Amino acid sequence: MSQEVTLDCLGEACPIPLVKAQNKLKELAAGDVVIVQIDHSCALKNIPDWARKDGHNVEIEEVDDGEWEIIIEKA
Amino acid sequence: MDIKNNKFYKKWFKSGWTYITGAILLSLFQIVTLAATGNPWGVSGVFANWGAWLYRAVGGSVDSWYYFANKGAQATLNAGILHHAGSMRNLGIIFGALLAALAASGFKIKKLKSKKQIVAAVLGGFLMGYGARIGFGCNIGALYSGICSLSVSGWVFAVFLFCGAVVGSKMLTKYFM
Repeated sequence: MSQEVTLDCLGEACPIPLVKAQNKLKELAAGDVVIVQIDHSCALKNIPDWARKDGHNVEIEEVDDGEWEIIIEKA
Repeated sequence: MDIKNNKFYKKWFKSGWTYITGAILLSLFQIVTLAATGNPWGVSGVFANWGAWLYRAVGGSVDSWYYFANKGAQATLNAGILHHAGSMRNLGIIFGALLAALAASGFKIKKLKSKKQIVAAVLGGFLMGYGARIGFGCNIGALYSGICSLSVSGWVFAVFLFCGAVVGSKMLTKYFM
């Protein structure tokens, strides 16, 4: 069973969302999914950049004005 | 026409620009600012002037303060904020950032997540402001413009800025993770 974890990083500035996502992904197994909720546009760049470089599947969803969810599936 | 799906809108306004694009534009505009104002680009020195104008507005005097006692600083203060290129540039940065966020429909008023954020922002702001004045420049005036002017001081600033950033990152992961 793969699990899905949501990280609430709303209201948090760089690099906290990135480090939180990195730490969380370390705990998980391949196939697990992390959803990072952010409202800091720098995180919209550095989280997908890092996750794609590490070879994970990344999708970005625009939830609202200035609010996004980054969905990372661990490879 | 649906502007949201227009490819130029998406490319120029919606998605973030690459670091390379940003670096090239910063380089070009710092040349423009040096040519137009006669001074290299700086940001935090302007805030000291804003503070001085505010203090004057409530009847205080900074004329005997070492930082403002020289002729140049006095001339700038007496000319007022409307004749101060640095102030206009800083305001331009703030309004430009607002416009960019609005154009990308990414504007949002963020909630404070914890009291820790307030403490960190106030403490961090004070340390950065104090450090920038003691060092006669921030990461723009002393580091960026210093290195751009081929000055050794910019590189010295870089070494100590890096040390500070290491300490700052350790504190960040200790208190905010």
